[in-house]
Amino acid sequence: MSRIGVFLCYCGSNIAGTVDVEAVAEMARTLPDVVYVETNKYTCSDPGQEGVKNAIIEKGIDRVVVGACSPRMHEPTWRKLLADTPVNPYMLEVANLREQCSWVHKDKEIATEKAKDLVKMAVAKVARLQPLHSIEIPVHKKALVIGGGIAGMQAALDIADAGFQVTIVERETSLGGKMVMLDKTFPTMDCSACICTPKMSEVGNHPNITVKSYSEVENVSGYIGNFEVTIREKAKYIDYDKCTGCGACETKCPQKVTNDFEQGMSERTAIYKMFPQAVPSKPVIDAAHCRKLQEGKCGVCAKVCPTGAINYEDEDKLTTETYGAVVFATGYKLIDWKPLYPEYGGGKYEDVITGLQFERLVNASGPTEGHILRPSDGTEPKSVVIIKCVGSRDPNKGKAYCSRACCMYSAKHAHQYLDKVPDGRCYVFYMDVRTPGKGYDEFYMNTLQDGAQYLRGRVSKIYREDGKLICKGEDTLTSQQVTVAADMVVLETAMVPADGIDELAAKFTVGRDADSWLVEAHAKLRPVETNTAGIFLAGTAQGPKDIPDSVCQAGAAASKVIGLLNKDKLMSNPQISHVNESLCQGDGACVGICPYGAISIVEKQFRENSRKVTRPVAQVNPGLCQGCGACTVTCRAGAMDLLGYTNESIMREVDALCQW
Amino acid sequence: MTAQDTIRARAKELLESGEVATFIGWEAGRFANQTTPLVITDAADADKLVFDEYCVNTLAKYVRDVVSRGKVGLVVRGCDSRGIIRLVTDKVIKREDVYLIGVGCPGMKDRKTGELLKKCAECRHNNPLEFDEMAGDAVEKPAAAERFAEVAEVEAMAQADRSRYFESVYAKCIRCYACRDVCPCCTCRECFVDARRENWVGKQNNVAENRFYGLTRVMHIGDRCIECGECERACPMDLPLMKLNRKVIQDMNDLFGEFESALSLEDTTEPLIEYRLDDVEEFM
Amino acid sequence: MSVVENNGAYPENWEPKIIAFCCHWCTYTGADLAGLNRMNYPANVRVLRIPCSGRMNPQYVIEALNKGCDGVLVCGCHPGDCHYVTGNYYARRRMLIFKRLLEYEGLEPERFQVRWISGAEAGKFRDTVMSVVEQVRALGPLNLTREIPAFELPRIPDDEDAFNAVPEEVTA
Repeated sequence: MSRIGVFLCYCGSNIAGTVDVEAVAEMARTLPDVVYVETNKYTCSDPGQEGVKNAIIEKGIDRVVVGACSPRMHEPTWRKLLADTPVNPYMLEVANLREQCSWVHKDKEIATEKAKDLVKMAVAKVARLQPLHSIEIPVHKKALVIGGGIAGMQAALDIADAGFQVTIVERETSLGGKMVMLDKTFPTMDCSACICTPKMSEVGNHPNITVKSYSEVENVSGYIGNFEVTIREKAKYIDYDKCTGCGACETKCPQKVTNDFEQGMSERTAIYKMFPQAVPSKPVIDAAHCRKLQEGKCGVCAKVCPTGAINYEDEDKLTTETYGAVVFATGYKLIDWKPLYPEYGGGKYEDVITGLQFERLVNASGPTEGHILRPSDGTEPKSVVIIKCVGSRDPNKGKAYCSRACCMYSAKHAHQYLDKVPDGRCYVFYMDVRTPGKGYDEFYMNTLQDGAQYLRGRVSKIYREDGKLICKGEDTLTSQQVTVAADMVVLETAMVPADGIDELAAKFTVGRDADSWLVEAHAKLRPVETNTAGIFLAGTAQGPKDIPDSVCQAGAAASKVIGLLNKDKLMSNPQISHVNESLCQGDGACVGICPYGAISIVEKQFRENSRKVTRPVAQVNPGLCQGCGACTVTCRAGAMDLLGYTNESIMREVDALCQW
Repeated sequence: MTAQDTIRARAKELLESGEVATFIGWEAGRFANQTTPLVITDAADADKLVFDEYCVNTLAKYVRDVVSRGKVGLVVRGCDSRGIIRLVTDKVIKREDVYLIGVGCPGMKDRKTGELLKKCAECRHNNPLEFDEMAGDAVEKPAAAERFAEVAEVEAMAQADRSRYFESVYAKCIRCYACRDVCPCCTCRECFVDARRENWVGKQNNVAENRFYGLTRVMHIGDRCIECGECERACPMDLPLMKLNRKVIQDMNDLFGEFESALSLEDTTEPLIEYRLDDVEEFM
Repeated sequence: MSVVENNGAYPENWEPKIIAFCCHWCTYTGADLAGLNRMNYPANVRVLRIPCSGRMNPQYVIEALNKGCDGVLVCGCHPGDCHYVTGNYYARRRMLIFKRLLEYEGLEPERFQVRWISGAEAGKFRDTVMSVVEQVRALGPLNLTREIPAFELPRIPDDEDAFNAVPEEVTA
């Protein structure tokens, strides 16, 4: 037998003005299992709450119905109150007599009848509730940052400076990401390497940061405060404890490979450092191209290495650690424009290059030592066409979204070209010029003054004629066909999420949008959190951004991580899904439906009909489940139920209502 | 050698060698042109097995009852094999729990009228879709009746007539649960109708409770129904159960794309546990 | 489903009973906002709070209609806005199939409705309630038959005579 206490609030005249609270109380006294009914002018006031507490003790009440304002308003207040009494805080149901009754109806008789029904429903539900208990979740005071670009480095530094341990997992052999490939950064034209490489070495030398380069996340389990992450550190074939980074091996390696860092415009050796300022400042062996590892012959690097650091027997290393929080700073790549834009040659013309290739061409440490030279014949282009929005804002061929940074960096490219080739001509084909940002529009205006000619329209075709790239397009401002004979064309291509993001995000059950950008928990109010508690977003993993925005977001993500890691423990929400194992058949319909990956199928041993049987059943991870209940509906047998909103309690609520 | 001879010979071998612990087929019934399902564990009983055009029962569901004794051999036609695929997909059994002897089905006949059974006239897959060996050749696919013809008939009725029609269906139902018991999709350890705490369905036999059972059953099996028609055949009250199942299947086809359940072990499409961002919305 | 015809047979002062299943994060919030704005709507709707429209089990609808509600409204967040990311996408499929099934069995479409109402759409909540109440009022009470009507049961088909008759020869 349950002993239900019903506490009805006048809320001054807010409720009592339209609802005859005493009549509702009179009705409530007749309901089954109700042992005590009290009305109060302001139940939420201190004396009101004191009264509720006293009544609970005096009358031996074991579950409580409050008829007052919306549960969205004071449910936490009542739960907190019950925590100080013998009644479990979840043996509570709130009847919404104010927002959904007294405030929206005028006729006192009708509103009173409705209020009675709402109380009946609440009594019917509360009679079926079970006590629920939060679990204390410990917080491992360590953060994992995935991606070592500018966003990842900034987040790691901020977290590490607050005194927490951070591990950065970087897929490439060095930190730096895309930023370190850039020559200069708008609008101030700082040399990108000059501001990025100090951050890299700061990260590399920080006592609280562990850099795992050439590594990827292999496996993840667990939940907020307790993500158990297995990291695969790919074989580097070099003992980093012995290697001094002298570079002798690189100079002697006979095998030449296309250099991806230089965007394919030069070659590197099979044992290599990504670029001179790489962090860690030690080489790796590219196993796919190393003669020793592929053919068994060579071994030159081992011979020249003064410390004997080369180890051809090296293998991938798997390490598993527990982290309290995870930051996704996985970044972007440029869209592969070649199959999408056959009208631009589809990669046939060497002198049609991407913005990132231009960055390397204009960079003093790049393949041309900073001289802008055509890749095809090494001559200086006297006329350059820059085409914006290649793959962006083009739902038919590429992506519908704006890649956000291209307007600025195309202006930067025009500026840099005109600076280095004063007698050159630069044409920029654009759809719009979007320069919202501090100092951004001024920068664009300066570029116009430099002499860059902006033409509003897309280029429809590029073909080669007499050694020139003929670009045909329309200037939509004058409605005239435009033909430019260019020596070189720079395509400002769209940003798309980094390779492998779908698989990685699925491991962490982080949501992705249709373009595979990671989805924030709320576009406006929770922009750096994800829907999986304890996982945060930084930089372009979430969507196209420029460097200042990426750094901002990284700092915001770091502050969220610091807030989380500062706690010693978290209290779990006990209103989550629960499996009745005797009913569960283990067919796993619930597993795929869970947006949080909280359900798994495990083999368990049972005694059934005096026999030991092992059969699969579903298991809910209480740290991951958020209590939406979508799984409960797929469970035909009703083995999966949502605590606090059980099938039984909702059915009885419906029944109570139907008696009116 | 006829398919029946092959089935007997192979059942004997499988039982003798111990490769299977039980074998499921059909045996001759008490009356002319009638068979009943047969479960044997002794190779000597293999000669009781028959396969003729009166093997009306679908065998897949019986596997669940005997699988705890060890591997099960059974004869499968199109419907039986889809039932097995259903059980494996629902993780009731494992594929390696069964040894399937496939046989092409010419369509089964009513023992009294000699006419093709309704479920066989509507059959779209008479040859087994999953088997370990075939007894005899696959047979030619007969021209199946229009898949959703009976749904269209009901849909053509006026709203009040439909209401009255199903009212009479539920009035006739005696809630014997035969439809559930033969259904290869109905494999819950405890059916919702038996759940006492939730009390989904009251114990009274009245139209309201029968409706609750009928509607819920369709929602529970709709996206997994293999359209074997066994529920309708087993119903002692001759209720048009496939009119309900097919309605849901037709809607899923219309709304979420072409789909037929349990055609292979790889294809585990179940429209109600999936979604697309651009799903149709008939409300807002 | 309503077999009994209501040719003005129900009392003048009859008021429709409608139950609204509302998700906590959007529609319930929207309904609260309607209260804060002191919007006025008919009192025929009682809101039952569920955490997410994905929690909405079709069986609750059958229970409500069977036990005497004249109409059921299910409300959740707009697609893409679900607090739990995907709950309303599953709800959309389930409710779509279920609504069509109920209508197939002869339920008037107005008696079971599904709407997406966000936490900001207090006006939409009020308008939805008003329109559903008016539509159901126009239809009259949902008098679902509960008891089995008295009619002659058909004979259970098949071998009924066989046991009385001389046994046929058992087939080989």
